[in-house]
Amino acid sequence: MKKAYNETWVENLHIQAQAAEWKAKNLLSEEQLEAVKEVFPEKFYRPGIFVKIGLFFFGVIACTFFVGFLSLFLYDGGSEVRFSMLSLICCVCFLFSLEFLIKTRNLFHSGVDNALLYAAVGAGIVPVFLVFENAPLWMYCLVGLAIVIPATLRYADLLGPVVIFGLLFTVLADLMMKFPLGKALLPFGVMILSAAIYFGSRKNKALYYRECKQILELLSLVTFYLGGNYLVVRELNAVISGLNVSIAPQIAFAPLFYMFTFIIPVLYVWVGLKTANRVLFIVGLLAFAFSAYTYLHYFSPLTGSQEMVLAGVLMIVASVALMKYLHTPRHGISDEQDRKRRYANLEAIIAAHQLGATPDGQGLEFGGGEFGGGGAGEVY
Amino acid sequence: MTIQSILNSLSSKGIISDRQADAIASFENEKAFSIHWELRSVLYLGILLFSSGAGVLIYENIDTIGHQAIIAAIACITVACFYYTYKNSLPYSREQVHNPNKFADYVLLLGCSTFLGLEGYIQYQYNVFGTRYGLAVMIPTILFFFCAYRFDHRGALSMAITGLASWLGLTIAPLSVLSGNDFSDGKLIIPAIALGSVLTATGWISEEQNVKKHFAFTYMLMGGNLACIAAQIGLFSYDPKTLYFVIGLGLCYFFILRARQAQSLLFLLMGTVYGYSILTYVIFTNLGADAAVGLGIFYFFFSSIGVIYFLLNFKKFLGIKK
Repeated sequence: MKKAYNETWVENLHIQAQAAEWKAKNLLSEEQLEAVKEVFPEKFYRPGIFVKIGLFFFGVIACTFFVGFLSLFLYDGGSEVRFSMLSLICCVCFLFSLEFLIKTRNLFHSGVDNALLYAAVGAGIVPVFLVFENAPLWMYCLVGLAIVIPATLRYADLLGPVVIFGLLFTVLADLMMKFPLGKALLPFGVMILSAAIYFGSRKNKALYYRECKQILELLSLVTFYLGGNYLVVRELNAVISGLNVSIAPQIAFAPLFYMFTFIIPVLYVWVGLKTANRVLFIVGLLAFAFSAYTYLHYFSPLTGSQEMVLAGVLMIVASVALMKYLHTPRHGISDEQDRKRRYANLEAIIAAHQLGATPDGQGLEFGGGEFGGGGAGEVY
Repeated sequence: MTIQSILNSLSSKGIISDRQADAIASFENEKAFSIHWELRSVLYLGILLFSSGAGVLIYENIDTIGHQAIIAAIACITVACFYYTYKNSLPYSREQVHNPNKFADYVLLLGCSTFLGLEGYIQYQYNVFGTRYGLAVMIPTILFFFCAYRFDHRGALSMAITGLASWLGLTIAPLSVLSGNDFSDGKLIIPAIALGSVLTATGWISEEQNVKKHFAFTYMLMGGNLACIAAQIGLFSYDPKTLYFVIGLGLCYFFILRARQAQSLLFLLMGTVYGYSILTYVIFTNLGADAAVGLGIFYFFFSSIGVIYFLLNFKKFLGIKK
């Protein structure tokens, strides 16, 4: 599939970023960094995140009202064929302006192009639903995949992998739920598909899809863990069987799932640290927090607030101890600040949000801090 | 594209020497995997969990544990936190202070949140402040403002601003300005605009006078959003509409000017979005219902394309060279 964005520029962008990192470590001089920028140029329009959000927002408005605009002339109530026609025409117009803007304005995931792409894909899928009525769910998913996969290959949009991932799992679940045996083996199916996606996406080395690849890795690590998590399996099992009880019944292979719940996070963190794989490491931390929650959910003698205090103390003690321990790098792991503190302003606002300052007559202000979120936060 | 291939292409273009390339390659090979931010995040979340969990815990057991014991425990933690921060702080400076101590920032945050818990508890149990809630809110606010400037802490600053807002009965945290505030009786709108403007002005002044310049962003973001949203609600629902219209557009004009001076994209976006919605509202209310329905599609289509064009060319507008 031919790529929409200039591939050389994508590579140059990466080289420049790498060079800037080396410059920050004084491995390159100022002149050398300038020379890198000169020899490996890129001319993408890449505004900050706020302008991107604004562009996306107004792009969506423009697309919506473009549909309304066209329907004034082309759509006079009633027939589905007319509506399909309209949406296909819109799809073509969106694609045309998308390509035009990318060529003339050097957009690169800049908000407008994301909005136009989503609008085009959406408009392209609408006729499918209108034409094939009452088809099984997995059929729709396959048609969706047939549209989304080429679009993602061309534009490397970050939502693409998410949608593809969701559609693949919907197909899997829809097919397996048709048979009793499939229902029982669903967790294993999820784990096998996740592993397949993980190792499949790791094979792709193209820089153009680097972020797409990371998203696929992230999602498949999460589903692989959740597929084996005892709490998820037990509760979903009850939901699938249509049981409406307060305590979900014990599941088959329970010891196996206990083992998964315990081993997978440890494995993630361990391998993540060994191979310097940040995605694996952070997912491992989050998974570990969720495993702790799983354990407490079924076996805890403590109340919610006691658990929070205990978890908070453990997290504080563990992180402080590790920071002290890693004062000098050990085992190839360090506590050095190798990236800038990019989110200081964001942290401040979260602090205001979570802690607030409203002690009034009503007692204490509390809330915030989900237990399951113990891990990454502002890193990603 | 691997590190090695980047190095190869750099040295083949003559930017770096082979020796430098080897040095960088060996640096990359031996580089330790940094878990700096992960550890900080765990610490930060630990503090959030601990302080909110402790709050609930005390609240639940308020009748069983001795009050003095609880108060003493929280007071100890609070004092210890402030003492630690004070001990490990650098002298005050008008510039940004980079404290080499790893924990001072987080300890201060913990201290501030336990102080809130302590005060809330004392008020709940002994009703020290009676119904003078204003006083109860002002004490932590002043303390947090002091801490923010003395120890150079943006988190404490936002907590102080939040406190100042709640003194007026307002919620200011950006995500809950709309949901947290009850603007239905219209009494809060003027104070909200006033507070927002004062905060924005404070941010502006601190930038101009070079006093803790890096605080300006927090002031202007929190204050500006509050003022703009309040002005809009005033415009939509209350009289005199002209006043709110002028205030709202004035704020947007200010933000766009500010964006040009500081080359700040966030303020550009705030000015554009709020300005767009105020102008749109005024145009449509003055047109009347019939004309509005007919023109709506054209208006939104062309105006949003206009805004996109504007944002695509913002570099020219802001005077950014590159």
